[in-house]
Amino acid sequence: MTLADPTPADPTPEETKACCAAAYSSDVVAMLLGDSYHPGGLALTRHLADQLRLTPGARVLDVATGPGRSALMFAQEHDSNVCGVDLSPGNVASARAAAAAAGLEERVEFTVADAERLPYNAQSFDAVVCECALCTFPDKAAAAAELARVLRPGGRVAISDVTADPAGLPDELCSLAARVACVADARPLAGYARILVDAGLEVVLTERHDDAMSRMLEQIEARLNVARMIARPRAEEVGIDFDRVGPVLDAARAAVDRGVLGYGLVVAARPAGGARAGRIAGGRA
Amino acid sequence: MVDSAKRDRDEVFLEYTKSICPVCKVVVDAQVNVRDDKVYLRKRCREHGTFEALVYGDARMYLDAMRFNKPGTIPLTFQTEVVDGCPSDCGLCPEHKQHACLGIIEVNTGCNLDCPICFADSGHQPDGYSITVEQCAKMLDVFVASEGEAEVVMFSGGEPTIHRDILAMIDLAQARPIKSVNLNTNGIRLASDRRFVAALGERDRLPGRSVNVYLQFDGFDERTHREIRGRDLREIKRRALDNCAEAGLTVTLVAAVERGLNDHELGAIIGFGLEHPAVRSVAFQPVTHSGRHVQFDPLTRLTNSDIVHGIVEQLPEWFRADDFFPVPCCFPTCRSITYLLSQGSPGTDDFAVVPIPRLLQVEDYLDYVSNRVVPDYSVREALEKLWSASAFMGTDTITEKLTAAAGALDCADACGVNLPEAVAELSERAFMIVIQDFQDPYTLNVKQLMKCCVEEITPDGRLIPFCAYNSVGYREQVREQMSGVAVADVVPNATPLQPVLSDSPYGSKVAGGHRPERAGIAPDRTNVGRSVR
Repeated sequence: MTLADPTPADPTPEETKACCAAAYSSDVVAMLLGDSYHPGGLALTRHLADQLRLTPGARVLDVATGPGRSALMFAQEHDSNVCGVDLSPGNVASARAAAAAAGLEERVEFTVADAERLPYNAQSFDAVVCECALCTFPDKAAAAAELARVLRPGGRVAISDVTADPAGLPDELCSLAARVACVADARPLAGYARILVDAGLEVVLTERHDDAMSRMLEQIEARLNVARMIARPRAEEVGIDFDRVGPVLDAARAAVDRGVLGYGLVVAARPAGGARAGRIAGGRA
Repeated sequence: MVDSAKRDRDEVFLEYTKSICPVCKVVVDAQVNVRDDKVYLRKRCREHGTFEALVYGDARMYLDAMRFNKPGTIPLTFQTEVVDGCPSDCGLCPEHKQHACLGIIEVNTGCNLDCPICFADSGHQPDGYSITVEQCAKMLDVFVASEGEAEVVMFSGGEPTIHRDILAMIDLAQARPIKSVNLNTNGIRLASDRRFVAALGERDRLPGRSVNVYLQFDGFDERTHREIRGRDLREIKRRALDNCAEAGLTVTLVAAVERGLNDHELGAIIGFGLEHPAVRSVAFQPVTHSGRHVQFDPLTRLTNSDIVHGIVEQLPEWFRADDFFPVPCCFPTCRSITYLLSQGSPGTDDFAVVPIPRLLQVEDYLDYVSNRVVPDYSVREALEKLWSASAFMGTDTITEKLTAAAGALDCADACGVNLPEAVAELSERAFMIVIQDFQDPYTLNVKQLMKCCVEEITPDGRLIPFCAYNSVGYREQVREQMSGVAVADVVPNATPLQPVLSDSPYGSKVAGGHRPERAGIAPDRTNVGRSVR
């Protein structure tokens, strides 16, 4: 989504990461998506949680938790003890406030942390979740290794993410801003599965949820239309180029229709025996 | 050779429920089936045979609606007791599942029109009734006793604007804890009596109170007017709307929609509404085949999903079917609503329209089956008020709740463009589209009736679910009590019933030849208290 392009063309990985965190708590992307937005909404998060085999009291880590809505849901609906991490201090503050408002401070805690250097001991979680975030991490292998490290043997990790076939993506969707909005560095579903396998996990489920991506594009378009209706000058000041919005969204929709852009769910387990080499055990791709 | 292979039924059995015989109004068992992706209700009366009617034109939409079903709220008081069971004990009896979101007071049976289509069977009739101001006060008190603080009361008829005390009755409502008054009218008086319109405008401006106009408005073709209203009212509607705009009144255009007559005008009505300064909402109601109406086929009647698909076909640039969400306070298949934000006039360059459900995930809040927890309870509460039978544009409640719902956009502090604030500002220009299929003696499903939240307030102090009032015999009972003139039970003017129909004095149809003594309302044949041996 090349709607704003606040940084140079060839950022370093560190710049990208900082930019991602900033963007996810900054004006434009927040306006487009809402802070906590990820495709599929609560329904897909529930479905994801159902794949984790959570038992009451389970310890769950939510990586890139945003303002913590999913984390709170795991606590409320699965009686989990949840740690949420996010790179943005603003998000973490919002998440803490939400936990306090829901009376869940005892069971949910939020910490500013980097997915590539998680501040937790090895094998300290029963389940790990990462929604709509892995695609924005520049070093996906390092992040996946961290997810695997903190997971106990037999535990499960679930990621949902934007899926994209890099060869098939049109140019409009490939800049840094698009990366921040989860497109340009997204992988095909099998690519995410491979990243988890390479981290020593066994993939137990892959599912496509491309409708969720279509719905997200519609929501972005609707919000942009409202912004244009009532606050066009201000929106342009913060970097929204309304003339480019239409073509970018059209390109994204066409890419979804062609199957090169979408959304997906991958669930993987850490082998109970501590085996190092993972494998893909059949899925529904 | 005998074909011994077993065959499958051509339908999926979905529900077992109760209904009434459309001819004798006796309560009978009924079943709901899905056939050819459509939903049908079928029932059998021992005396009059089998009846079947289309109740939802899109089976998937019907099933999907079930999630949007809110736990009912218990009213402060009930007016009747459970004796014979639903729908014979109205109402409200303690088995009723929902309080009254909307109370209706019919102030008269007389009307300055004699429309070929009128569920109230009203017109220039010498033997009807009008309620007195004292009776109105008592009826309002019953409503308030049941509701505490009520959202909205609707004055209807007949034609309420020809009741000489209608303004006094509005004053009575405004003096009670009832936030809003809705005036259901054909617009004839509004078109010609600007002092009356101004008097409504004054009452609309009282702090914490509002008066809104529910204007019968069926379309733009002359044929539509002649066949539904019996005369060409187009100029009268235009003048009525302009007078309302001048007085600052908010208007809902209410279209009775009949298949093959004006169902091609859905898009044009919405477009007109968006353009007219007085209009803030449109309500589409498939013609209710209670009371007086032209002959129809129950198997091809219009339903809510047909209206949704019709709107989408006629305005594909603006709408998709999933922009409409079922209303959770009543039974969710009874009513669907969407809201729009718009700018400019349709057809001009700067025109833009955004259905509000595309801005947020309505199902995350109003799907009561999936969601044990919701992201934000204040947003759910706001959406509950917006997706409600008590929602009328022009009321403080709706303006306030549109603003609150903007909180779901979830970026209040982060946005360079403060989208929630912007949407809140836009709520002044928000537009509502309501689709409501009222039940008739053919389609009546007791399951839906038990959660009805639109109630007729009767002069004898009952709150009777609207569709029970029109279908089961209560309307005839009340008219008979009030006028002292015997009133036979009205029977739908359905094609399969033609052999047994004869004319009532009011233009509706009754079962021909005999008029059985009324053995109470809707005697029950489904549970006769006998064991099998």
